[in-house]
Amino acid sequence: MSATGLQLNKVTIRFGGLTAVSEVSATVRPGELAGLIGPNGAGKTTVFNLITGVYSPTEGAIEFAGRAITGLRPFEITARGIARTFQNIRLFGSLTVFDNVRVAFHLHLRQGPGQSLSRGPTFHHEERELTERTRELLEIFKLDRVRDEPARSLPYGDQRRLEIVRALATQPELLLLDEPAAGMNPAEKVELMKLIQFIQERYKLAILLVEHDMKVVMGICQRIHVLEYGRKIAEGTPAQVRENPAVIAAYLGYDPENGPTK
Amino acid sequence: MPSWLNRSQLVLVAALLAAGLAQFFSNHLDSYVLSVAMGVGINIVLASSLNLINGFTGQFSLGHAGFMAVGAYTSAVLTGKLAAQLNPIFGGHVYLLFPFALVVGGLVAAVAGGLVGAPSLRLKGDYLAIVTLGFGEIIKVIFQNVEYVGGAKGLNAIPDYSNLFWVFGTTAITVYTVWALLNSTYGRGFLAVADDEISAEAMGLNTTRYKMVAFVVGAFFAGIAGGLFAHLNNYINPSGFDFNKSIEIVVMVILGGMGRHTGVILSAILLTVLTELLRQFGDYRMVIYSLLLIVLMILRPQGLMVWPFKNPLWFYLKAYWPFRMLARRPTS
Ligand SMILES: Nc1ncnc2c1ncn2[C@@H]1O[C@H](COP(=O)(O)OP(=O)(O)OP(=O)(O)O)[C@@H](O)[C@H]1O
Ligand SMILES: [Mg+2]
Repeated sequence: MSATGLQLNKVTIRFGGLTAVSEVSATVRPGELAGLIGPNGAGKTTVFNLITGVYSPTEGAIEFAGRAITGLRPFEITARGIARTFQNIRLFGSLTVFDNVRVAFHLHLRQGPGQSLSRGPTFHHEERELTERTRELLEIFKLDRVRDEPARSLPYGDQRRLEIVRALATQPELLLLDEPAAGMNPAEKVELMKLIQFIQERYKLAILLVEHDMKVVMGICQRIHVLEYGRKIAEGTPAQVRENPAVIAAYLGYDPENGPTK
Repeated sequence: MPSWLNRSQLVLVAALLAAGLAQFFSNHLDSYVLSVAMGVGINIVLASSLNLINGFTGQFSLGHAGFMAVGAYTSAVLTGKLAAQLNPIFGGHVYLLFPFALVVGGLVAAVAGGLVGAPSLRLKGDYLAIVTLGFGEIIKVIFQNVEYVGGAKGLNAIPDYSNLFWVFGTTAITVYTVWALLNSTYGRGFLAVADDEISAEAMGLNTTRYKMVAFVVGAFFAGIAGGLFAHLNNYINPSGFDFNKSIEIVVMVILGGMGRHTGVILSAILLTVLTELLRQFGDYRMVIYSLLLIVLMILRPQGLMVWPFKNPLWFYLKAYWPFRMLARRPTS
């Protein structure tokens, strides 16, 4: 990724009368761990869907590594180096854990339908290599012991982690994580966040993280973007965002569990 | 084992040899048994290739009879009206005309598959079913109105080139192709598309391309099956490739358990033999056939061969070879 990273320039999307995201501008630098926060319905997932090409912006432009990615199809954007996880888990439920990951190496495959049929030495070599790399990734996330289980039979927390492994297999430069710790208990959450920091360093990733738990976000993010009603209301370091009156107002009385962010 | 063949390809070669041997000894067989056996082989080709589209890739095509028709007519014209022009090309090897006609029939069907697929594979579920259904009907109407191929009367006096070798050779190649296509990292993409298109795209898979490959390969083998059918029956007419024929193949795939290799092969065998056995009941045939289907679907709604079987005997049997193959998960 060149020095520019990801850039949103006044991105807007409307669904009928509803403006879900309104003139949002933001930058995620290479190698940065950034947070994207905001109350329910603020438009966080929609921003992810815009970046990854699930939706095209009504107005505005998105750039990655210095090139426009607006209007590309999702798989083309993944090929440019952006991978994601889904808030409402979207694994390949009937495939095994192993297959979920190896299928995500797709962009880097040398084989195609022809090689699947001829099954020559290079084909077998590649399959062995992918098996090894898949095993490695699964081990980092302690999923290797369930590698032959169908993904849909995994416990919730494992499914969330498998989503991250699968996204990593595409070999991204920017990883978008949509509430990766949702539904986990505090101990699991802490462990996952450590893991996220670990993979960020190991694979030199930029990460954009959506997470409701303020303690977690403030703890690991270098920079935080705050959305409310589709608009960006603040941006800065955790300390700056915590003191920001607009952010405090947005969060006051919003989440009884975490309370105001002060 | 030669180093350039791996185990699955060795099985394919063995199957081809077996088909050749079967053909060699076929004059000892009753001609009715022979024709039923070939009908079984052709239906395995049809069901396995549709299984690639409807089962493994999760699309819903109702156009298989249409692709079959394209292959049947193309190959019948090549071995019939055009035979005199084509034979010199093969020198003394006139026996090559038939495989040539089959492959060309398959290729033309594949092109038709591409033409139907390109605009319609963006559609989902029911919509694709309707488009492919419409395609099947259009193909039928076209053949009904082209006098060159006999119009509604159809084509007759097609040479009876189909034999055990060609039919079961094709069957082996089809089954191998579908199996090999799916059993690779690339091939797991078909299943991923069936499971969740949005996340397949997010993982970098060009879902339209995958659906297209499934569709074109499926149409290719349907076309070849059509050619085998034409040269087995010696007679084809447009209404033989109507909606009912497509449904018949869809039923084989559903009964076999959508996206199961072995189950779909077994259900193709079962349903073909069943249809034959029911001939003696004349007009009641379709009634009995439908009732049997209903009973089967009630007894095994997940498909004939789908796991797990409840029978405890199975628990022991499945440790052993041919059963072990049945017990495997869908595609590995
Ligand atoms: N495809 C769509 N059609 C219509 N409205 C949509 C669509 N997608 C999102 N929205 C609306 O856009 C707004 C933002 O939704 P979004 O899911 O992005 O919020 P979020 O910040 O991710 O919330 P949460 O914290 O609950 O996940 C919501 O009002 C939602 O109903
Ligand atoms: Mg969301």
